Amino acid sequence: MSATTPIQHGHSRTLFWIAVAVSVLMFAPMAWVLVLSFTDNEALSRGTEAAFTGPYTLKNYTDIAGNSGVFRWFVNSLIVGAGQTAGVLVLSSLAGYAFGRLEWPGRKVIFVIVLFGLAVPEQAVIIPRHQIFSTLDLHNTYIGLMLPGMSLPFGVFLMTQFFRAIPPEIDEAALLDNATRWRIFWKVLLPLTLPAQATLGIFTFLFAWNDYWWPLISATDKDMYTLTIGIASSQVNFAQTEGLGFLAAQAVFAALPVLIVYIIFQKHVVTAVSGGAVK
Amino acid sequence: MSAAIDIRHLTKRFGALTVLDDISLQIEDGEFVVFLGPSGCGKSTLLRMIAGLEGVDEGEIALGDRRIDPLPPGERGVAMVFQSYALYPHMTVRQNMAFGLENVRTPKDEIERRTDAAAKILEIDHLLDRKPQMLSGGQRQRVAIGRAIVKEPKAFLFDEPLSNLDAALRGRTRLELAQLHQRLGATMIFVTHDQVEAMTLADRIVVMHDRRIEQIGTPMEVYQRPATKFVAGFVGSPAMSMLPVSGVTQGPSGARVTVDGVGDIDTAVPLPPGFAAKGASIGIRAEDTTPSDTGLPLTVDVIERLGDRTLLHGHLPDGSELVAQDTGRSTVTAGDTVRVAVDPHAVHLFDADGRAHHATGAD
Repeated sequence: MSATTPIQHGHSRTLFWIAVAVSVLMFAPMAWVLVLSFTDNEALSRGTEAAFTGPYTLKNYTDIAGNSGVFRWFVNSLIVGAGQTAGVLVLSSLAGYAFGRLEWPGRKVIFVIVLFGLAVPEQAVIIPRHQIFSTLDLHNTYIGLMLPGMSLPFGVFLMTQFFRAIPPEIDEAALLDNATRWRIFWKVLLPLTLPAQATLGIFTFLFAWNDYWWPLISATDKDMYTLTIGIASSQVNFAQTEGLGFLAAQAVFAALPVLIVYIIFQKHVVTAVSGGAVK
Repeated sequence: MSAAIDIRHLTKRFGALTVLDDISLQIEDGEFVVFLGPSGCGKSTLLRMIAGLEGVDEGEIALGDRRIDPLPPGERGVAMVFQSYALYPHMTVRQNMAFGLENVRTPKDEIERRTDAAAKILEIDHLLDRKPQMLSGGQRQRVAIGRAIVKEPKAFLFDEPLSNLDAALRGRTRLELAQLHQRLGATMIFVTHDQVEAMTLADRIVVMHDRRIEQIGTPMEVYQRPATKFVAGFVGSPAMSMLPVSGVTQGPSGARVTVDGVGDIDTAVPLPPGFAAKGASIGIRAEDTTPSDTGLPLTVDVIERLGDRTLLHGHLPDGSELVAQDTGRSTVTAGDTVRVAVDPHAVHLFDADGRAHHATGAD
């Protein structure tokens, strides 16, 4: 058993207060948006100090339900987020199994080529991608919004590493148990990769939900807007001096699913961020 | 149906490296055979080839009257217990045991019957609903054996299954495996580098070294009539002492061996025709020596007291190391020089190629 020395104790107190200060700094903008969302629009148009004085109202939220396309955009974001996540999980798992567990000619070369995808910025491919999607008439479709995000080299890399880490004796035991390759993948190995799948799924969903650039290019029809594009399109007035409370309410509404996903899967997100540094 | 295993001229290569070279071996139905050898000798590879986890480059493997080397692992009629147990971590003990039967569409009630029966034999019936991470090493080991039993295979393959257990549990499990073999009467192949496991479990031991089989024999044959110098040195604890031979002549009852700086040692080993002293050696086990007024002058370096006997590790005047044995109440201390007599019927003579020659009828 080890005792904490005064120096260690002072050190941890300093760290504690630094952590508190950083948390406050991170939380302040969110609190600000939350307060704005409950503040009367008219009062805000005279000055944002109204956030401290009120009057406060739920009208901004009832307006979302009433007259904007937010619900449609919300559903679009859900479909795109869920579809993209499902696609990434299926493709990354299959690719990870093939790269991590099976022996086939060219495996290493192709894996390196896939990893090169990590080094290619989206900006470099956006124009040809736009042209291809335009030629295939995929703009303003859910598939068009989901497809680019499904080719996720990081997902393939993550799942490959995870499959590699499973002891080969597990496959061998299953082979001796008369299991087919597919059954080994589906019943034996895939369940063992659930932590990695959860991590990958959460990050993919958050990425898809928050993505702005590709939906901005691909979804030109207002009905196909995702929430990020829809909210941005509402911000037509200069410096957002009008309807600030309504905008804030839309932002809170848009952030809710992300928040819920985060709260439910907090453990996996933390595991993913720590990256296995702590065993 | 017979569960004899016939291995014919088996060769395995990994790229340019040959890991098994022209191995032939017959295992009888119901026999318990142990593959014994140092790390890297190819014993696990041979087992994995029988299991179908490694391909065969040359040769054939037959189980009963069926050639199995072209078949996938699951269709060979063998079950394997891995060193790491290789249980499916997300499945319960029952699911682990049932998985192989489900894959061949065994009826549910049959699966249940076999699982319960195996669990009862192995005394793990109270663990059936637990997952592997909730089990101790010994319990996992039993589940792995249970998973093999429920498949009712023709042959069981064990790949160093005791090496992850602590010493006490290893001894107990060893005994239980022997009982299991008696009870099931199935053909079993057990891979180990532990000679105690080999000696206690095997009907026959296959000693392997450097890609080849050095000797196949009962534990006592391997111990008392080792076929080669390698087997003599590998099997037995302490290892057999080897003294370099400088001359060989016909003695009164067999070969008379000269060891430079030590003198002559009379043996009961018939002098092999054309036997050359160059590169030859004489092997002596500690238990075949006794303190005496005459014999080899041993300067004792280390005393090892084992209770019922005392091992004297020392060296002879020529510098050769020799381990001799004294009684448990030995008064010899390190630094003493004692004389040890050697039983002429129990020594072994090895030629320059490592081939062994023994006294006639020595056992």
